[in-house]
Formats: sequence, structure tokens, C-alpha cells
Amino acid sequence: MAPAADTETPFTLAVPDSALELLRAKLALTRLPDELDGAGWEYGAPLADVRRLVARWQDAFDWRAHENAINDALPMFTRPLAVDGHGTLDVHYVHKRSEVPNAIPLLFVHGWPGHFLEVRKVLPLLTAASPEHPSFHVVAVSLPGYGFSEAPRKPGFSGKQYAELFNKLMLSLGYEEYVYQGGDWGHMLGAYTAVQCGPKNLKAWHTNIPVSEQPTLWSHPLAYLKSLLPYDQKTLEGLQATGLYRMKGLGYMIQQATKPQTIGYSLADSPAGLLAWVYEKLVAWSDDYPWTDDEVLEWVSIYWFSRSGPAATLRIYYEMTAGNTQDILKGAKGPTVPVGLSYFPQEVFRLPKSWAHTLGKIVFVAEHGKGGHFAAHEQPEALVGDVRKMFGKGGGAYGVVPGKDGYA
Amino acid sequence: MTTWAKPFTVAVPDADVERLHAKLELATFPDELDGAGWDYGVPLADIKRLSEYWKNTFDWRKAERSINEIPQFTTDIEVDGFGSLNVHFVHQKSEVENAIPLLFVHGWPGHFLEVRKLLPLLTAGSHDHPAFHVVAPSLPGFGFSEAPGKPGFAGPQFAETFNKLMLSLGYNEYVYQGGDFGHIIGVYVANIYGHKHMKGWLSNMPMYRRPTAFSNPLLFLELLTLPFNKTLRDRIAAVQHLQTTGMGYFNVQATVPQTIGYSLADSPIGLLAWLYEKLYMGVGGYPWTEDEVLEWISIYWFSRAGPGAPARIYYELTGGNSHDLFEGTTWTSVPLGLAWFPQEPVRLPKSWAHMIGKVVFESDHEVGGHFAAFEQPQALVSDLRKMFGKGGPAHGVVPGKDGYQ
Repeated sequence: MAPAADTETPFTLAVPDSALELLRAKLALTRLPDELDGAGWEYGAPLADVRRLVARWQDAFDWRAHENAINDALPMFTRPLAVDGHGTLDVHYVHKRSEVPNAIPLLFVHGWPGHFLEVRKVLPLLTAASPEHPSFHVVAVSLPGYGFSEAPRKPGFSGKQYAELFNKLMLSLGYEEYVYQGGDWGHMLGAYTAVQCGPKNLKAWHTNIPVSEQPTLWSHPLAYLKSLLPYDQKTLEGLQATGLYRMKGLGYMIQQATKPQTIGYSLADSPAGLLAWVYEKLVAWSDDYPWTDDEVLEWVSIYWFSRSGPAATLRIYYEMTAGNTQDILKGAKGPTVPVGLSYFPQEVFRLPKSWAHTLGKIVFVAEHGKGGHFAAHEQPEALVGDVRKMFGKGGGAYGVVPGKDGYA
Repeated sequence: MTTWAKPFTVAVPDADVERLHAKLELATFPDELDGAGWDYGVPLADIKRLSEYWKNTFDWRKAERSINEIPQFTTDIEVDGFGSLNVHFVHQKSEVENAIPLLFVHGWPGHFLEVRKLLPLLTAGSHDHPAFHVVAPSLPGFGFSEAPGKPGFAGPQFAETFNKLMLSLGYNEYVYQGGDFGHIIGVYVANIYGHKHMKGWLSNMPMYRRPTAFSNPLLFLELLTLPFNKTLRDRIAAVQHLQTTGMGYFNVQATVPQTIGYSLADSPIGLLAWLYEKLYMGVGGYPWTEDEVLEWISIYWFSRAGPGAPARIYYELTGGNSHDLFEGTTWTSVPLGLAWFPQEPVRLPKSWAHMIGKVVFESDHEVGGHFAAFEQPQALVSDLRKMFGKGGPAHGVVPGKDGYQ
């Protein structure tokens, strides 16, 4: 079935000159704060880093070169999609088909502070054809309010709405049955989409941050019993790290889940402020990834130049937690669709593996020795390797999409 | 120890005023959800209104002239392990020679100007009530005080700074008033310098640890009466609601003050929103004028150490969010007064305040919130007069200085 191209419009990234000029004018007026002697990373993003990045952003970073490279590398589109109760949203996405006709349709979903560009390194690998591994048709959506997708206009755009939107996007492209890969919000929304749209449309999904609820005796008795056994050293270290992260690393989350508008003013108005807010996570959440300045500046520029502005990206935290009053996964209980898990060592939430049974029928598990939160960007080969194994011949999710096993 | 105080005048350089205006000209506003109201944070309409006023109407030089009518000084204070800190403070003596020396300490997002409305009232001489000599410093890192240069400037250091300030002015014995961090630092001052130097104090934000079965068995038992005690239930529910929905700023500042500092130093509307949220939500319907709000925010914007520095007090006093604000302190017998204001967001069960110290005075007000000195100066002064005046429970705590002519 041919994709419905009637409402799809090709998209070219083209930031207006006036926006570039405004950014430079603001950067030229930057006022930096002071810093304590020997602060390092203890108090947040270090002054020397931010100073250097701000200076480069103003004088040397060539946005147009990056823009051209993005346009060359990624086939992008927009299309209007209706969501019950929220009218129509213009949604931006990358869509690249494999040359293999029976490639597996795959929806790739980013999180915060991520964006659609996180698909860049995995795209050629996923769409590559080979007798050794399956191939995929890849759709990488910009979440509403991120990148070049329109933002929701009213309160209440939550898990159910995202799932509806993702499903409609895939259906509109002719992909009645598809698989899903996500991390960060992509993971959380994967659980929602699995519950709402699986197994009818979403046949299986893969996550690189297996965060889940603790199993209860009633929900998952076997997993519950397993979770009562003494944890091994590695699991204990993971729990400890998670506990430390909860104490030291959740300020941004509590702020964004309770008063996203208040911090939104800063992020919309101050390039240096936005840079620091995002850069801190790029470094803290990755596994010694050797970020170049231009990599960071391209990443932050996507936020700065995004269609709805940086403040819109924060509201997902409020909506998905009802203003910090409920668990994120509350509305995504008991998915049964096959799920694959990849554990990366520097992921910020490291929960006992027995808990992951609450995410669905586990058909694939991989553990890596390197990599953090931004797996697709830090460890593209490893991530794609996992997805290929999961969906390939002999894999736990082989042939989940009838007639599309990904082989020529 | 004698250190000489130098008179201080607020004099923001022209270049700084110009840069503020240049930034306001380029202000970029976020979008907002339909019907958001205050649910997601400060409404866009409020920030636009205040930002326009700041850009076009608010006269900083006029505000500055008026601020300079208040007698201000700076002095160098040696703080153990931190070298010398230049501390900015208001100092107004009463005409009454034996006036009671009073140290007034602000919090966050407050500043030294919160003492402004109290000054004429506190220093006024009368046969009917005591008078006070008033000292109101800017916390290190706030207002026009220098910021500490290295990590670890916590409760004991703030207490040391202020005690030394009072001693340097010849006030070997004094009383104290504070709310917000002024209250928290008051606990440290009472613990470390209580009786010897600090003789009594009044808090308008009585807050301390939660009672546990081991620390305060009786208060803990009171919690068991919860099902039958609506007042207690309501107060705890209100505090829990604040914990759930109102602690973003606390967590950010207690863990990554440097990260939020970039925004606050660089964006006037970002700073405005960050502070105005608290000014609005912390008061009992106080009718803030644009001038009042913008003068308040401008103090932060033009402060000596910049708007990034104040956030660090949250980090230092909680050990980077690893312990509570009262680390190392205990109950003291220094006479304590409690001023309860109905719209104070941090309203814990009244009985819990007895864990702070020896309560000798309590007042219950009908009106007023977090910024009591600013919103309800008469009420706060009345409390101080009652507590320390003739017939009051702390009358004469400072020997030879009972505040009467």
C-alpha cells in the first residue's frame, strides 16, 4: 500500500536570517554568573565550559553549514495529524525507506533533552540491506513541541494523545503494523503506545532505558518473587546510583513537572541559560562521550530554533505526571506486547532487572559495557546491533510484522 | 575586634542599566497553553506586563535615590576558613540611647530592603513601647554583600558573619528577627551564640524538623490523632501539597545552582519569572505594584555578586540536597517568639515549633504571608514590642538596654 502523500509536505530546515541575527545579538549581550573556586561539576555546568561554548556560538559556530548537512542527511517531512480533543497538529518527522521492500517499519522516538537528530547515526545502519541482518523503514518523529513539530495548544496532552498521534503517523505512511524504538520519553511513550496500539498496530518495541514499576504480587507474581531475593552486587550498585541520582539529579525534573512555564521564560530568552540547562545533561547522562563544541552547539541550536521554542519542550513532564502528582507510567499498566531491553551502564536509572517484567513480554535482553542515556548518539552500532538481533532471524521478535521480516 | 564601617551608597553603573535595557529590548517570550492560569508557573500576561513596565516606565535611578535615604554601610568581616568578606548592611540607630540592638535577617528571594518599612517604627522612641537599634545585613552573596569565594559557606558561617557584624558595631548582646533563611540562620545563631550574644529572637516562619518517635515522642504521638484532628490534617495536607507542587526551585538550587545561575544572570525576564512566582504565591493577596516588584527584582539583577550567587545558599545549607537545613542544630533555651501569618506557605503544625526552642511568645495574625516585614510591618513590629517590651516575656533580655527612654 502506497503511503498517503496527499497531506505530507517535504520539509527543509531553513532558519530565517532574522533568527540568526537575534541569537547573535543576544549572545553579544551575555552576562555570565560568578562561580566558586574549585566548583568543578559539583554545582552544575562549569563556567569555563559555558563561557567557551557561548563564545564559539557567537563567533565561530556555522549554523548554515550544519543546517545544510542536516538537510542532506535526513529526508524530512511534515503532515497535519488530528488528535482527539486537541485539534490538528503539524508534525515533523524523518522518513527513510530501506531499499528492501519488506523492511520492517520502525518508529524511533526521542526524549528530553533529545530531538529527532538522535536518529542520524543509526539511520544508515537501520536502513542498510544485508543477508546477515534485517532492514528497517525508519520514521523518526519530533515530539509535539520539539524540533519542528507544532506544540499542543491546550492542557492535557499526555500518554494517550502521544500514542494516538504516533499510531496515526505510522498509519498515514501506510505502516499498519510496525515496531518501535525509544529511550527517555521515547521509552515511557513506548509503554503507552504498546498498551493502546498493541498488538494490533504496534507489534513489538525496544527500549534503551528499561525503567519500570516495581512488580507487585498481584501484577507480576513471578517477577515479584524474584525481586525479593537478595540483589547481586551489580544490582545493588545500580540501585545506589539510582538513589544518588534521585537525590542529586532530579531538580530539572521536579521544576519541569511543576512549573514548566516559570523556567520556560529563561530558556526562551537566554541562549546561555538554555545552553547550560541542556549541556549539563548531555555530559552528566552520557558515558564519557567526547562531545565536540560544535556537536553541543548544533544540539542546543535545534532547541533554540525549534518551531515552538524551548519552553514548549518542558510541558511533557507536567502532563505525564499530572503536575508531579502521579507516576509517569500510571496510564500504561500491563503492556503485553513483546519488548526488548538494552542496558547501558551509565544510564541514570538503573533498576533491578526483575522489575522489567512489568514492561511486557521480554523477548530480548542485552547488556553493554559502555554507553549512557543517549544510546543512539553515543553507541549507534551497539544499539542497532541489539535491534537487529531482536528482530532478525533467530531473534525473539523475528517476523512480528507479518510479511515484513526485513530481509530481501 | 574593631572594624570600621564605611558608608555605602547604591550606585549602579550606567553601563549596567543600559545593558538591562538592551536585553529587555531583545526579550523573547515563550508560548503558553490556553487557559493555563498559574497552573504551569507564572502567566505570560503577567511577565509581559511587568517586562514592558521594566523596559519603558520603571525608573531605577529614582528607586536608587530613595533606597539611599536608608543609612547603609559596608564592613569587612573575617570568617573562619573564608578570609575577609565585605558585608553590606543597613544600620539605623534609635534616638533612645538604651534601645535594644536588633539584627534583622532576610531570606530568599528577599533582601535587605525588607527592613525598610520597619525602620521608622522600630527606632521610634516612646514611653509605651521599646525602641530598637536596627542592623539589617545583606546575606553574603545577596544585595551588595560580597559572595563567599569557596564551597562550604553554610549555617555556621552565616551565623558567624552576623554575630561578628553585631560585635563590630559594639552590640555585644542583641536580639534577632527573621523569616525564610533569616529564620533558618536564626536557629544557627541561637545554637552557636545564644545567651552569650543573641538573647532572644522572633521568627515569622517557624520551621524545624519533623518529629519522630525518638526525637519528640509526644509530638509524634500527636500525629496519631490525625484522623480526629482536622486542623492538624489540613496543615499537613497543605505542607504535603507544597512539597509535591512547589519545590522545583528548591531542588534545582540545592543541586545545580550554577546551572540555573546562567539563566538568572543572563535573562531579566527569566529572573523576573523565577522570583515573581514566589513574590506572588507567598503573600496573602498583597497588592504588589509594578514599581514594588521591579525594584525588588532590580536589587537581584544589579546585586554585587550577580543573580546566580544567591541560589547557592540552598546547596550549602543542605549539603547539596543530602541533608536538611538544620544540620547540627538542636533545641535551645534562648527565648523564642513565633509570629504566625495565615498565608505563609510553610505552615507546619504549631506544636512542632516547640522543637526549635523555648517558646515564650506567640502571636496569631489575621492577614499576611511570607514577606511579613514587607506586607504587615505594623503587625511584626507590634509583636517585637510586645515580646521585648515591659510586661513582655523577653523584657530586659539585653542587660541595660530595655529600649525605653
